[in-house]
Amino acid sequence: MNSRVAIPILVISAMAGAFNVFCWLGPRASAQEEQQTSESQSVWDGVYTEEQAKRGQGSYQKDCSICHGDRLNGTGEAPALSGGRFFANWNGLTLGDLFERIRKTMPQDKPERLTRREKADILAYILSFNKFPAGKNELRQQTEWLKLIKFEESRPERNRPSQP
Amino acid sequence: MDHQKFARRNRLLLWVTVVLICVPVPLRAQNHAKDKEWPSYAADLAGTRYRPLDQINASNFNELEISWRFNTDNLGNRPEYKLEGTPLMVNGVLYTTAGSRRAAIALDAATGELLWVHGEHEGARGAAAPRQLSGRGLAYWSDGKDERILYVTPGFRLVCLDAKTGSRIPTFGDGGAVDLKLNDDQIIEPDLTTGEIGVQSAPVIGRDTIIIGAAFREGYTPKSMRNNKGYVRGFDVRTGRRLWIFHTIPKKGEFGYDTWLDGSAEYTGNTGVWTQITVDEQLGLVYLPVESPTGDFYGGHRRGNNLFGESLVCVDLRTGQRKWHFQLVHHPLWDMDISSAPILADITVDGKPIKAVAQPSKQGFLYLFDRVTGKPVWPIPEQPVTVGSVPGEWYSPTQPIPSKPPAYSRNGVSVDDLIDFTPDLRKKAEGITAKYLLGTVFTPPVVSQINGALGTLTLGTASGGTNWPGGSYDPETHIAYIYACNACLEPIGLVQPPKEVSDMRYVYGTAGQEVKAVHGPGENAGADAPMPPQKKAASEYVELNVDGLPLVKPPYGTITAINLDKGEIVWQIAHGETPDLVRKHPALHGLNIPRTGQESYGVGTLVTKTLVIAGESQVTTTADHPRGAMLRAYDKATGKEVGAVYMPGPESGSPMTYIVNGKQYIVIAISGGAYSGEYIAYALPSATE
Repeated sequence: MNSRVAIPILVISAMAGAFNVFCWLGPRASAQEEQQTSESQSVWDGVYTEEQAKRGQGSYQKDCSICHGDRLNGTGEAPALSGGRFFANWNGLTLGDLFERIRKTMPQDKPERLTRREKADILAYILSFNKFPAGKNELRQQTEWLKLIKFEESRPERNRPSQP
Repeated sequence: MDHQKFARRNRLLLWVTVVLICVPVPLRAQNHAKDKEWPSYAADLAGTRYRPLDQINASNFNELEISWRFNTDNLGNRPEYKLEGTPLMVNGVLYTTAGSRRAAIALDAATGELLWVHGEHEGARGAAAPRQLSGRGLAYWSDGKDERILYVTPGFRLVCLDAKTGSRIPTFGDGGAVDLKLNDDQIIEPDLTTGEIGVQSAPVIGRDTIIIGAAFREGYTPKSMRNNKGYVRGFDVRTGRRLWIFHTIPKKGEFGYDTWLDGSAEYTGNTGVWTQITVDEQLGLVYLPVESPTGDFYGGHRRGNNLFGESLVCVDLRTGQRKWHFQLVHHPLWDMDISSAPILADITVDGKPIKAVAQPSKQGFLYLFDRVTGKPVWPIPEQPVTVGSVPGEWYSPTQPIPSKPPAYSRNGVSVDDLIDFTPDLRKKAEGITAKYLLGTVFTPPVVSQINGALGTLTLGTASGGTNWPGGSYDPETHIAYIYACNACLEPIGLVQPPKEVSDMRYVYGTAGQEVKAVHGPGENAGADAPMPPQKKAASEYVELNVDGLPLVKPPYGTITAINLDKGEIVWQIAHGETPDLVRKHPALHGLNIPRTGQESYGVGTLVTKTLVIAGESQVTTTADHPRGAMLRAYDKATGKEVGAVYMPGPESGSPMTYIVNGKQYIVIAISGGAYSGEYIAYALPSATE
């Protein structure tokens, strides 16, 4: 095969290959975006990763457990971060609301001691401890994204019958 | 004058009298001007939290609207979620503390408009304070001409401000402030910046004397058996000059020094007065509710009864000299700090008038004394109690237990107190409590053991019972209204701490769990100190709940009306909506459970001419209201709920009330969880709406 034929074939093959790869990656990427921009997202949708929760556990034990307890069960003055009382405070709000509380005021003696990233990891650990499912994507550290994730105590109903 | 004129005059007089009697009550019985104001933390110096106002009553409580709200986020370097103040209202101005800096603020009482702010920037001293954030309030003083506001900063300085402008009064103390870490009959260790002592209660002023107590860190895991002491002082309100001091831990040679064996009064500390102090200006007496000595749950380093720990002490307003005292708990081991204002009540018992003082408590007892002599109104006999066997400990073989009135909230834990919605839940609860020692009130703490009792399970100890908001009292009917947590479980186990955590033989802890210092909010957690390495827990952590439900049965929180003339409970109700987790629990599906009340200890009551008013400190979402909490009103005669209005967040301070421009307001602090601190004022809708 001479180069005048071969080169275009190679170029087309390369483009086809690239297109295939793009097709393979593309929908996944947009699904990710869709997941993160979907307004119906909740803490039941796998909004953090196991890895992130593990990191968060380390940070939690170091900086949070002293007031909130080793088992997130609270102490005399700092509330529990698990269980009914915790859910009652946050049910119906968003992870963004909870994250802002942590970001601005925790740890109480020096909120600036932890980075945003570390606080997102701690939030992931809190979700993990409370048995919300892990997923493929890490919990982001920007409040505007976290505001799209509803904190719902109970798994929301799926496949609701359409209105008549 | 002649007979006819005389008769006519009498008839005229008679008709005038008849007309006056028939004139509508509101016109005739105008509230005294003082009744419309709230000049002191607890309404008055007697600690009553009572105002005889009834513009807001059962017929219109449900119509209350938010009249104005004041957000406190920017009164400090970050928002606060622990707003616990009760504002004052005098001459149309609302004064209170607020924000993470504990600023003093003045608001227009009708509109909430900010009039002035004063904040003290205390740097490292403020950051090291044991009791930070906005505190519970401030004090107002006037001599008829000058008006002043006085409050204590987190860094423990008494500041005096001009009530009209918020500026410091330069002639008070040192340029407007008195350094309370000085002139305290002790050297505050280790230094003035980091030395542990502070206070968050509102100071009280009687006869131109301002009285300041003292507070420390949480006492579960003290760093040392040694600490600074919580003496009480009276200062001249005009100049800030110290007038007197009362040693809550006696000095050598003073009465009570020998109740601290082995000279332990020398080094033991705490034993302050962190809650509200009450004053009888007429009698010239001050009532001091004293807290626990160092080490809430272990007293092996302070053997003896430890006067005046957990005692009600009456001192002279002018001199601070002790007139009488009564120790509620000998050799304290249960963190039964006297947590709230003693209430002055003029009562009639068996036909005899008594000037009494009524002390609510964490342990659910209301102790009543003749406030002149200190004699108990009804006998408070010493009863034998269980003596423990913690190594090195000392025990009092008896404790005083009031014969009347009966306990108004649970103390001690028995199987009968456990959850009983279903037999299965009860069985699970018994499985949990099998790991603890149960017993009546004053069952002592035990050394925590993995293969034995993890601790003594208690109610009516650390959290209470009645905590800092205290009770209310109606001087017209002689009835006290007292909120109590009825389900605030505290397991008290002792463990030997590593030397770097404490030099005490035993501190609070659970066997097999790493001993960590227990901190309250706002404490300096040693930010730059490296944390000790994590040790794997040798025992499984025992959750004190049954599938998420409270371990004990309802009511979880109550309001009790107690007739002080008779020493009898008139009514008791569960206060607070049933928590979401109970209402929605699958194990309780189909059961009709009456309102359970809520397990919180930070609820305060307000008594008016006809109502008892209290807010909820837990958020719920019900069919009746979206996520939020309710401010509830009860008929004070019967306890029947007569109204409830929505609060967007949980209450965290106690409600107060006043009338300004002919309109009655109720103001309450709201904060917690997702909700940062806000003062919210409720009033009836304007007539024009």
